[in-house]
Amino acid sequence: MHIHKFEKIWLIFGVTTLLVFLSVIGVSAFYLGNQPPSCLATINPEKVDTTAPFDKPGLNKVEGKEWDYELVYVASAFNYTPGEVEVPLGAKVKVLATTKDVVHGFNVAGTNINMMLEPGYISEYVTTFDKAGEYLIVCNEYCGAGHHMMSSMIKVVE
Amino acid sequence: MAQPGLEKKTSTKVEDQSSLKGTLASVFLLGFFLIITWVGVFLLFVNRF
Repeated sequence: MHIHKFEKIWLIFGVTTLLVFLSVIGVSAFYLGNQPPSCLATINPEKVDTTAPFDKPGLNKVEGKEWDYELVYVASAFNYTPGEVEVPLGAKVKVLATTKDVVHGFNVAGTNINMMLEPGYISEYVTTFDKAGEYLIVCNEYCGAGHHMMSSMIKVVE
Repeated sequence: MAQPGLEKKTSTKVEDQSSLKGTLASVFLLGFFLIITWVGVFLLFVNRF
């Protein structure tokens, strides 16, 4: 079979690009341990308020874990608990969130924290808050009549 | 006697069709566009927390 020289060039170029893209995803998943926010952790949606750690929403200091704090959120129509929280700059935090009723969104605007909260599932994201400022949390999954008023605030302070 | 004339015609046609310079240029244009946008989104992801 005859393959034109140019065809060889763009085939090699295309395959190499694809391999680079896939390797980045592979390293991210299997070496760095990145996973979807909702990854097999479940909860009884009717007993959220009495189930740890969701019985104490807010920023909680933890010992002996890879992260220093756990930032716990409970979402329900149409608010987040807590409504405002202060996080020290540079803290390594695990954000845990779930919903008591319908599907909600959890998007910390301007960051990579963007999760879907589904009844019965816990969404998690581990990150280091290394830029001071105010970060608005908005619901980006339509959840009902008050969807547009559903918000919360994270203040990263020194 | 008719054969030399036939050969000439076919050889010129094949040469015209086999020029892939334009195709090569458009493939790389699209390729670099994809790479630049991919790298842009990736940098955005890496620089945010």
